[in-house]
Amino acid sequence: MASQSISVAPPKAFRGVGRSILLTVPMALWALLMFTPAFQKAGRDEHIGALVVIVFMTGLFFMMMRTGETYRWRRIFFVALGFLFPFGFIAALIAERGTMSIPISRMVSGDTPFCFMVTPSLILPAAFARTIIFPGSILPTASNPHSIAIMIGVWFAMTLVLGKAWCSYACFFGGIEEGFAALPKRRRLHRFVTKYGSTLRLIPWAILVFVVLVSAAIFEPVYCMWLCPFKAVTEFPAVRNVETAIQMGVFVALFVGLVVVLPYLTKKRTQCGFFCPFGAFQSLSNKINLFEIRFDRTKCVDCTLCQTSCPTVALSKDSIAEGKTLLNCMKCGACVDVCKKDAAVWHLKGTPVAVKPERARLLFLYGAWAMATMFGGSVLAGSVSTIIHWLPGM
Amino acid sequence: MRTRFLSILAYTGAGFTLLIAVCVPFVLIMGFSNVVAHAGLHIDATYSGGTIARTIQRSGYRIEVYQQVRPRMFERTEPFVQIVFEPADALPARVNDEIDLDGDGRADVRVSFTKPADANAKMHGDVTALNGGYVSLSNASGESFSRMVVRTGNKIVVRVPMK
Amino acid sequence: MAALSLSASAGEALVLGLATGPVCLATCGPVVVPWMMVQPRGLGLHSRQLLLFLAARLAGYMVFAAAVWMVGSTIPRAWVGRTWLMGGIQLLLAVGLVVYAVGWPHRRCTAARSTSRLVEIGETPRPMMSGALALGFLTGINLCPPFLVAGVRAAELEHLSAALLFFVCFFAGTAVWFLPFLSMGFVQRTPAVVTVARIVAVMLACWYGFSGVSILIERTVYG
Repeated sequence: MASQSISVAPPKAFRGVGRSILLTVPMALWALLMFTPAFQKAGRDEHIGALVVIVFMTGLFFMMMRTGETYRWRRIFFVALGFLFPFGFIAALIAERGTMSIPISRMVSGDTPFCFMVTPSLILPAAFARTIIFPGSILPTASNPHSIAIMIGVWFAMTLVLGKAWCSYACFFGGIEEGFAALPKRRRLHRFVTKYGSTLRLIPWAILVFVVLVSAAIFEPVYCMWLCPFKAVTEFPAVRNVETAIQMGVFVALFVGLVVVLPYLTKKRTQCGFFCPFGAFQSLSNKINLFEIRFDRTKCVDCTLCQTSCPTVALSKDSIAEGKTLLNCMKCGACVDVCKKDAAVWHLKGTPVAVKPERARLLFLYGAWAMATMFGGSVLAGSVSTIIHWLPGM
Repeated sequence: MRTRFLSILAYTGAGFTLLIAVCVPFVLIMGFSNVVAHAGLHIDATYSGGTIARTIQRSGYRIEVYQQVRPRMFERTEPFVQIVFEPADALPARVNDEIDLDGDGRADVRVSFTKPADANAKMHGDVTALNGGYVSLSNASGESFSRMVVRTGNKIVVRVPMK
Repeated sequence: MAALSLSASAGEALVLGLATGPVCLATCGPVVVPWMMVQPRGLGLHSRQLLLFLAARLAGYMVFAAAVWMVGSTIPRAWVGRTWLMGGIQLLLAVGLVVYAVGWPHRRCTAARSTSRLVEIGETPRPMMSGALALGFLTGINLCPPFLVAGVRAAELEHLSAALLFFVCFFAGTAVWFLPFLSMGFVQRTPAVVTVARIVAVMLACWYGFSGVSILIERTVYG
């Protein structure tokens, strides 16, 4: 039986410094390109924020090249994003209106910023009635730059590159639970996850079908109004009656349970793997994405370390026997990094498995890290500049 | 031979993926956004209030009366009519207006509110139904999407529920 | 003249059904989807089950048409009994979905015998009351606004047979919108799909239960 603590292979010098720097240069240039507009802005805080993020993202990519590992360095970025995004978001809300709650006046004026997680619920009403069931604005406005068209454009464009890796490189919520999951050394509910994980990972699909059907029936974004745990750390409809009070209670309960407590106890991303319908929706893009993780059956000794390390139970005994991950694999790289036999490998569909896996990894990482720098990096830069702005004496 | 062909195809695809990644911030985001923006979609009337039916001019400000919004079968909203007073800055301190909502020449509701001095302050108002088709509101603020008297930007939005 | 009037009514009913089909889809989709997800794969079997569902729905329509015509007047929107009926139907749908979900066999889904009296999957020696019939009939008498509009028109017709024909045509118009559900016959049935369907059914039962109770206690909660 696999140990309840994660046994991670010690960092190794996979690649020389010179070669690592060479491979990092394109990513450094990309980061500079992405943040050049920030340097053209007047604020010192924005300059510092941009500089910090350029160094941060470039440094992490360098370490990925140097050590040959993906998961631990990606996790540092992802957890930073998960915690700094709400910080910056809430700070902006407090500065603007003094509260995290959205008054109904803002909802009817189309000032609610659009969140990509509501996208599946919008499809059927948009298709049948050309109606967007979200209190936002389709085009960007001065008071709401995060319009529906822009955010859907961002999501769709990035999904073409990332596929389900969106959940490992872009989603600014997943890092919160990844952070809590990383805290303890040992998992406490190992048997629970082992016994029920294969059923629990189907719940996101059920919630997806449910929210799509019911949202189309009642013309309301059901996930947003009732089931989103992250309302607790972003913004939520102002409590104005019994119903909105119940909704708020549900949001807080789901956040505490699925995003804080269960990840801490199980060392899994429980909200992502066992609840999030958007994650299930995004899994469909794995069907067309070219990058995946595969298993070389000639090397695999069935130690199940990969299964234990997978944050979202995207590996089963049967799938590993077939040399594959399940559809909900978010390409975080945990299984590849933990495998002591190098049986778990990055793979480009259409090429032989385990032949030049590092090439597949590099091709994947250049695209994924570019998206992470562009999207998550800009969020980080904004939050860092907010922190600097608030620091005493700054 | 087949393996080689597939590998070439795979690496070509990977190259295209990287090309797409480069194009994302410069071309693709705006491209896809424009597709969505021009898809003929509109925000649900529960949130947007619907479309403007008629505009009534008053001295210094105007009143926009919207089309009735009736809920779909399971939609959990009362039917309502939205009325917008704008610009809010030009409104008198106290508004007491009788408004014809259905265009039949007879006033259907009387809307009364005091414009708060602070534009960000919560406001309250009364709506008195002058015929049996509408529901009166007393000291209403932002109770629900079908019952409200709120300020948004430079507009005062009033929603009157219908029977 | 009578024939012309009849065909004009039939045409009107067909158009009304086609126009309001999406409403029926929104009403019945949440019930049909999880139920169809558990049916064994295959277009033939799927078609038969869907036809059974629609036939039961038509039976519900006929019952309503006959009742409306015999009463001889419309069922007003404000009729208190309608509230009780709608709330009760929603609760029955909730119960039906829960029984259906927990009654599905835990074994492999293909050619499995059901442990629930409401479910028939595959072939059984003696056909039991089918889930298709129960769910179809309940959705058929769910008093939605387009249904009531059709009822108003049918009640005005001269003969009972005309009212029944009106509803047959109305039904035909709405049934067109159910054809895409046949595509679910191509989806591969695995234990995972069946499990997802069970969970969806339980969640929908909670929603119907909440909706039914809200209607019955006359506390319509507006957003």
